[in-house]
Amino acid sequence: RTPPVTLAAIVGCPELHPLISTHFLSAQPPINTLALPDLSKIYLFERKPKDSNAEVPPPPPTVVGGVLKKDWLLKHRTKVPAVLGAVFRAEHVFGDPAQWLNVCLGLFVCRAVIRGRNIKLAVVIIHTGADEITEDRMIALRKRADVDAKYVIMLNPNDNSDLNQSLDRMANAFYGLATMYYREEGRRIKQRIEKKNVSSVELIVRYCFKVAVYAEFRSDWPEALKFYEEGYHTLREIVGVTTRLPAIQRLVEIKYVSEQLNFKICTLLLHSGKVTESVAWFRQHKNAYKRLVGTPEAIFLHWDWMSRQYLVFGELLETSSKTAQIFPPITLGSASKPLSEWEFHPAYYYQLAAHYLGQKRSSLELVISTTETSSDTDSVDSVVPSTYVGQFARILELGDNVDMMALTDEEYMRYAVSEGRRFRDSLEIIALLRKAYESFNSSNIQRMAALCGFQMGKEYFSEGDSSNAKQIFDSIASLYRKEGWITLLWDVLGFLRECSRKSSNVKDFVEYSLEMAALPISSDANLQRDTGPAGPASRIQRETVHKEVFDLVMEDSVSETNEQLNNLKINGDKPLQLQVDLVSPLRLAMIALVAFHEQTMKPGSLTSISVSLLSHLPCTVEIDQLEIQFNQPSCNFFVSNAQKPQSVGVTDTQQHRVETSTSLLLEPNKWLRLTYDITSDQSGKLECQSVIAKIGPHFRICCRAESPASLDSLPIWTLDDCMQSVPIKDSVLVLSGQKIIQVEEPEPQVDVRLGAFGPALVGEIFLVPVTVISKGHNVYSGELKINLVDVRGGGLFSPRENEPHALDSHHVQLLGISGPEGEDDSHLDSDKIKQVQQSFGLISVPFLKNGDSWSCKLEIKWHRPKPIMLYVSLGYTPTNNESNPQMVHVHKNLQIEGQNAIELNHHFLMPFRRDPLILSKNKQASESNISQSLPLNQKTLLIVSAKNCTELPIRLKSISIEADNDVERTCSNQHGNEELSNPALVAPGREFKKVFSVSSDKNISKLVLGTVCLTWRRDLGVEEQSASTTGTLPWVVTKQKLPDMNVELPPLIVNLECPPYAILGDPFTYYIRILNQTPLLQEIKYTLADAQSFVLSGYHNDTVYVLPKSELILSYKLVPLASGLQQLPRFSMTSVRYSAAYQPSSSSNSVFVFPSKPHFKNEASTNFRLESVANE
Amino acid sequence: MIVCVAVVGHQNNPLYIQSFTEADDALKLHHIVHCSLDVVDERVNNPKKSGPLLNETFLGLLYPIENFKVYGYLTNTKVKFILVTTDLDVKDADVRNFFRRFHAAYVDAVSNPFHVPGKKITSRTFAERVSTIVKSFGLTSAV
Amino acid sequence: MVREVAESCVDSLLTEMVASYCNRFYANKPELAARRIEAIGYQVGHQLSERYTMERPRFSDHLEAIKFICKDFWTELFKKQIDNLKTNHRGTFVLQDNKFPWLERISIDPSTDKVNSAEDDSFTTAENKAASTISMHLYYPCGIIRGALSNLGITCAVTADISNLPACSFVVRVKA
Repeated sequence: RTPPVTLAAIVGCPELHPLISTHFLSAQPPINTLALPDLSKIYLFERKPKDSNAEVPPPPPTVVGGVLKKDWLLKHRTKVPAVLGAVFRAEHVFGDPAQWLNVCLGLFVCRAVIRGRNIKLAVVIIHTGADEITEDRMIALRKRADVDAKYVIMLNPNDNSDLNQSLDRMANAFYGLATMYYREEGRRIKQRIEKKNVSSVELIVRYCFKVAVYAEFRSDWPEALKFYEEGYHTLREIVGVTTRLPAIQRLVEIKYVSEQLNFKICTLLLHSGKVTESVAWFRQHKNAYKRLVGTPEAIFLHWDWMSRQYLVFGELLETSSKTAQIFPPITLGSASKPLSEWEFHPAYYYQLAAHYLGQKRSSLELVISTTETSSDTDSVDSVVPSTYVGQFARILELGDNVDMMALTDEEYMRYAVSEGRRFRDSLEIIALLRKAYESFNSSNIQRMAALCGFQMGKEYFSEGDSSNAKQIFDSIASLYRKEGWITLLWDVLGFLRECSRKSSNVKDFVEYSLEMAALPISSDANLQRDTGPAGPASRIQRETVHKEVFDLVMEDSVSETNEQLNNLKINGDKPLQLQVDLVSPLRLAMIALVAFHEQTMKPGSLTSISVSLLSHLPCTVEIDQLEIQFNQPSCNFFVSNAQKPQSVGVTDTQQHRVETSTSLLLEPNKWLRLTYDITSDQSGKLECQSVIAKIGPHFRICCRAESPASLDSLPIWTLDDCMQSVPIKDSVLVLSGQKIIQVEEPEPQVDVRLGAFGPALVGEIFLVPVTVISKGHNVYSGELKINLVDVRGGGLFSPRENEPHALDSHHVQLLGISGPEGEDDSHLDSDKIKQVQQSFGLISVPFLKNGDSWSCKLEIKWHRPKPIMLYVSLGYTPTNNESNPQMVHVHKNLQIEGQNAIELNHHFLMPFRRDPLILSKNKQASESNISQSLPLNQKTLLIVSAKNCTELPIRLKSISIEADNDVERTCSNQHGNEELSNPALVAPGREFKKVFSVSSDKNISKLVLGTVCLTWRRDLGVEEQSASTTGTLPWVVTKQKLPDMNVELPPLIVNLECPPYAILGDPFTYYIRILNQTPLLQEIKYTLADAQSFVLSGYHNDTVYVLPKSELILSYKLVPLASGLQQLPRFSMTSVRYSAAYQPSSSSNSVFVFPSKPHFKNEASTNFRLESVANE
Repeated sequence: MIVCVAVVGHQNNPLYIQSFTEADDALKLHHIVHCSLDVVDERVNNPKKSGPLLNETFLGLLYPIENFKVYGYLTNTKVKFILVTTDLDVKDADVRNFFRRFHAAYVDAVSNPFHVPGKKITSRTFAERVSTIVKSFGLTSAV
Repeated sequence: MVREVAESCVDSLLTEMVASYCNRFYANKPELAARRIEAIGYQVGHQLSERYTMERPRFSDHLEAIKFICKDFWTELFKKQIDNLKTNHRGTFVLQDNKFPWLERISIDPSTDKVNSAEDDSFTTAENKAASTISMHLYYPCGIIRGALSNLGITCAVTADISNLPACSFVVRVKA
């Protein structure tokens, strides 16, 4: 089947032959070598003795034996070389004359032999390098051999590099000669065609074939193609013209030859990558011969031939697409004759090959059945293919002489039939179909694959191979099921049913039968022929199937009547239960919808459940008993058919509820609706799991229970005929009914009380008493769950995730749970407090009898003011029943505000009427007061005030300033840390102040003041006295860090001095001391404004200089003109150097004027500022 | 002569399939129609190959089988119409015309408020209209 | 076979359908009523899209199909096009109609206003009630859009937003 390869022959020097032939084979283009050890064999090439031609008179020119001789091509491929290479040793050529004479003789023999066939000659001289080459001997050699100089090749086997080169040269020379030979041969035959005087058309075909083959030999593909096509077309003309052979054999021969030609053409086209052309050619070929069926009794030969055409072309296509990876080109054929995708698929051809093989088989069977006489098998034995392609002949053995004798058509038919008998076509068909099936599947062409599979399954089935058939049918059935091709599915199921019948698989048989019977086929009579074992897809047939399967199912044990079903049995030993789930095809046969009428129910109360069954089976089915199963087995119940009371004899029904229904008839396409009460004591989910229908003594169908809403997911075509009825009358239930119901818990009869008063204060440990009071239930294995949840939805954790263990990271924290009152806290068993986490706690409650109570306290600490929701839930079981723990839950929640108890504030106060000029303050005044600065070396007062922001009185124990431990103390503060002798009561909204004095003498810029520590607790008022024990409420320490202060040296300090009070009309001196702390002379501009209440002497404004490190005193005499608190004349000054304006604060700038001199009882009133003042 | 027409839903489920021949086996035609869906899939999934027919509803000749030619039509709503004919020389225009009229009949049928979308077409009027269209196939391309 | 149905008839039919389902069939189950109304719209849209896509090449992507809804389909239904189409290019489309014909003639029942105007609280509930009534009327067009798109091979969820009354926007979320 491969393209022919040039054949060359070499003779002489046999030791070198392997070397040469392997090299030739691997040369490009390759050359096959015929190696002859010596000249004695050369006569093989000689043309058949001419004398035989002379002996027998030439056949009359009109009679040609056949179109093609079978072995002609073979002869040229293996026997007749194009080139003969005569190999001589150099020493013989150039040696002594005796040897030279030998060479000459050899050459003469060669020439004589090849002359008849026109074979080319080349001379190869093996030249080992020892002998010199004489030119005249060379010329003589050329003359003797009658060859061109370039066809005398020197070969030196000892020199490797040279050897390869000369071998290449030799191959080239041989190839050139071969091409020349083939061209000449081709031309010679072509001339015969062109002369047009060829005696018969057959010869033209033969000549075309030969020309094409010669062209192929020299790789001239277009020429080869052209002549093959010409031969092919000429052959078409023979049909109906020639009368050379008996009719049948004539057609057979033509088809054989055309097959040969077609094959060649397709191969050539495919090899040159012209897939489309090849496909188109093949299509034309098959169309041309499709009608040439021949005589009816020989029609199987035609089908056989057609099948072979498809098979061969499929294989060709497959190999070429494998090697060349040619995909269907974009333009599918011409516009007039478009090609479809499939024609590029080998599988398509395999499938058709199988199809025609099937035709062949059936027509062969027909022939065999009509011609029953198969007696003379011996006459058939001697028939063999004759020398011509597509012809057969009988061998006549006359002694040694073997002769061929033409056959009559009858003889030929007998031969063909007996040949046909020998083959098992179905195996071949299956193999072809499997090839197609796999090929289609691998390219994901499922439906074609399914068709192949279907045909394959049919073959297996008719072969009796049920297991293979079943396997294939099953895979196809799933596709048809998915896409809803009911008629196709029906057919496949029919086969499957028969397969399972044959293998006596009862379950499969019943399943397939039920599925078939339930298929929505409604046509009454369908004129279908060639149906499978299923029979025509019709309603009547469905009923037949239905009856058959229910006869089997209902059959009482031994009554063996049905001959067909004798190997299918359902009895007590082999009960049958079918499962119908959401994906089962048997959903059509039976589907169960279950809906509770409520979403939730109370334990022990009644609700209704609707069970609806639907069957698409064509006949009414009577159910003996229904079993409805739940996830709570105690709820399971049976529905028995009142018409068949005997069926409820099963023992295990005795513990269960048995309902009786008047009839359990499942009519076709009609919902069977049943509604029953149901109750459950078990809280939680109650789900209906399955509905089991018992039909007959040993047959059950178990349907997975479905909610009515799931009807939407049915394959869309299944409800075609019966959509009008709804499963449940209540349309709401149809839409929203569920097969699940939530059974609620029993009503709790236990009270949980959360007693908490008031808001919680940040910092304190807030106690929430929890009391569990039983009011009708005993509390077993009670468990209290405590959960703190941020009301606002934010977490209770601060975003500082990196310090998870820091106390502050929880804004609100559940610290612990203290035991019931009366017991000591520490006696709480560790196993009672099971778990206390930051926001979650779990505590077990001891057993409580009805009427008892138990309490505990939750300790919760707020770190931030935040409202939280406290959830407490109690779970318990009212009965001490280990096996059936029925939890009851009580939920309580309480929102608790968290408040800051005390707001701490502080501010600084300079000494009275003493104002340092702080430059930074002046500068920042324009921008913003980010940080205050304190003057260096001056005593400053720090006033810390604690305001009660709650609505409760608070008792304050102490306020102190503590230095931060790790920071060096940079200032001294006095009046620091003594505790209040008696804890002060701070009413809601009131402030408590404490004064500290701060002075810093170190020349640093930053002053770390420390932390204010406040010790307090909530005041319980009367309770406090009555309880009187100190342990009731612990003191709470609140700390607040004071901000760091800047310290700077003021360049100027202004001190205003005036008496503590003045008397109306009595003059006094008002001193203004300006202290220059710098080592620089300071120029100062100052003004003293007029004041209404005073008459004053001295400059109103002036510029003065203050010497370095010295003090300037301005003094004014003032006479008050009005009594009361009067504003002193306003003093303002500007430091020119710092260009800093400066005004003393107005608060320190007033004096009280008495109308007359007052009389004080206690003169000493100077120290009042340093006392702690409460309730200011 | 048209031997079979079919309407196939977007899940490749048959919505309507009717054969107009006494001689041939309906089952075989069902197989042919079913297999032609593979070609429709191929055409739709590899639109490049279809070339000029890109996104046109008419899919052209799907595939030739020995005695039949199968034509396809794919609506915007992924409903396929399949036509199987025995005529070996069919004018494209005739087929297009056929499909256009068939589509109109189909739309009228599914617009019936009692027709459930995605279900089989059981309308008798539709069947009658289809048989009229089938009978007039190829007679006049003017309609 | 051209039949023209007066627009007012369609309006009345829609109103009557919504009223029937909300107040009679599923009086206390508004979500079921909504589902039913939407399902009716779905079938209508499904069937209309079949007709209006005749004689038209197949859509190659979702956007093309949505554009068809906005232009041709809407024109067939309402004699106008959708006024604005927005998309996030990830399967969400907003179809805005500035003067949706089926909302044009809807007004809030004044009687409820009068009775409850004394109490502030019930006024807002009356407003809520009006909003829910309007949204009931929108389940039908939502169903139409969903039905049309699903028939074109796009499974999606359609919701409607009412901003100020005759304007309305439909949000189409294509399911992957």
